[in-house]
Amino acid sequence: MTAPVRSSTTQWWVLTARTLRGAARGGEAITAIIAPIVFTVSFYVPLQKVISMFGNGVDNFGQFLMPLIVLQAIAFTAISVAFLAATDAVDGINRRFASMPIARLVPLGSRVASGMAKCVVSLTFALGCGYVIGFRFAGSITDTAMFIGFVAIIAVTLILGADVIGTASRNPEATTQSLILPQLVLGMLSSGFAPLEQFPTWVQPFVRNQPVSQFTTALRDLADGTATSASVTPALLWLLTLLVICIPLSLLLNARRS
Amino acid sequence: MTTTENSAAVFVPQTLIQSQRMLLHLFRNPMSLVQSIVYPASMLVILDIVLGRQVSAFAGHDSLHGTVPMTALLSAMLGAVAGAVTLGREWDAGILARFWVLPIHRASGLATRVTSEGVRILSTTMLITGLGLLLGFRFSGSLFSALAFVAVPLMFGIAFATAVIAASFTLGKTLLVESVSLLCSLAMFFNPGFVPLAAYPTWLQPLVENQPMSCAIEAMTALSLGEPAGASLLKAAAWSSIIFAVAVVPALRGLRRATVPR
Repeated sequence: MTAPVRSSTTQWWVLTARTLRGAARGGEAITAIIAPIVFTVSFYVPLQKVISMFGNGVDNFGQFLMPLIVLQAIAFTAISVAFLAATDAVDGINRRFASMPIARLVPLGSRVASGMAKCVVSLTFALGCGYVIGFRFAGSITDTAMFIGFVAIIAVTLILGADVIGTASRNPEATTQSLILPQLVLGMLSSGFAPLEQFPTWVQPFVRNQPVSQFTTALRDLADGTATSASVTPALLWLLTLLVICIPLSLLLNARRS
Repeated sequence: MTTTENSAAVFVPQTLIQSQRMLLHLFRNPMSLVQSIVYPASMLVILDIVLGRQVSAFAGHDSLHGTVPMTALLSAMLGAVAGAVTLGREWDAGILARFWVLPIHRASGLATRVTSEGVRILSTTMLITGLGLLLGFRFSGSLFSALAFVAVPLMFGIAFATAVIAASFTLGKTLLVESVSLLCSLAMFFNPGFVPLAAYPTWLQPLVENQPMSCAIEAMTALSLGEPAGASLLKAAAWSSIIFAVAVVPALRGLRRATVPR
């Protein structure tokens, strides 16, 4: 007699719940909450006076910094997804799943779903921190909804990318370490951190065009209610590019039997 | 004539051999290298690019006088965390237990840690300071203050490393890395090297001014500006001695326990 085979949806839900239970029990839930708080406190408190006195063009630093806080919160979540993917890969869980009657993309789907759940927690706390430092949604309901939607697309993209990196590297610690530096460089050398004109001229082309700057530009304009197609299109193009790279790689890594 | 394992004649060469081994481990391991050098060095460059102009205007002197000491100390601190992780791994692998049963001078294990941590901190401080010089950092003190400038991270780093080793035996690997890294990143943003003291809210200033890392930074900043540094040096020395005094006994006890396989 063979055991009854559950539907893919049930399997997906079982695996997602497994990851989320682990996250709630271990430190990951706390990281998702603490990361946006620490980031807000670390950047807003020391820099508020400096930027408002000597930085031209920023009259409300809280409103200005908010998109970057959101992005950093999501990036931290993505790093924890990469850590988890690498752990699953190196511990042989993926191989075991591959030997079981599970649809091939179910484990990936559950990792993305649990990553998104963590993002929701992190985003909530990031927005809460933003409200404390004076951030407000100034646009219409549609603008605010588009802000959330945009964050969701960025989150899916980063989670997929992180999952690819983790699954391919099979080394949890090295993956985490190597992702923190790009996060730092892209986060701080972006127009989400200081206005573009305040950077030295030689670095401005990089700062202006790199994805984090474009994401913060789009998010800031959506939050202010001043978004135009010109301010959002570059960010969408970046996301499209990243997805075009990540999705085939992800399918390749997850669909093959090891 | 044969020398016994605890004779002074074998102490120095054995300490040197083991120190060399530890330093090779550190400098050949990409992860600890990234954490203890690449990360603080990138931080220094990025802070100079992003905030250098604004912070210099606010402080009234080049912001590098604050960020060079800060990242040099950060490098010493994060390197200590990487060292404690390696220590935990060697305990797991039973290397420490194997060393213990070999005819090695009993004190050389400890002397090795102090020597290799010292060499590590001195070299990363030199590297960070060199990078600062490339970015435009200029040292205005005497030769004596230059020596003191390098001695501060050495003193503070060794005290900090002792505390991290003590903590690693009570906290466990994962919790250690996460909590100490969090502590380091908070210390990095709340000190007068990141932005001048006046930029912090008034109620927070006493805390920012007197936390251990700040006292060491203040001393180094004063030395590099050629200003009187006596009081801040004293404060930095006091903090380092307190941290060392509290941590040294649990650290030694832990190291002794680590000679038994886990």
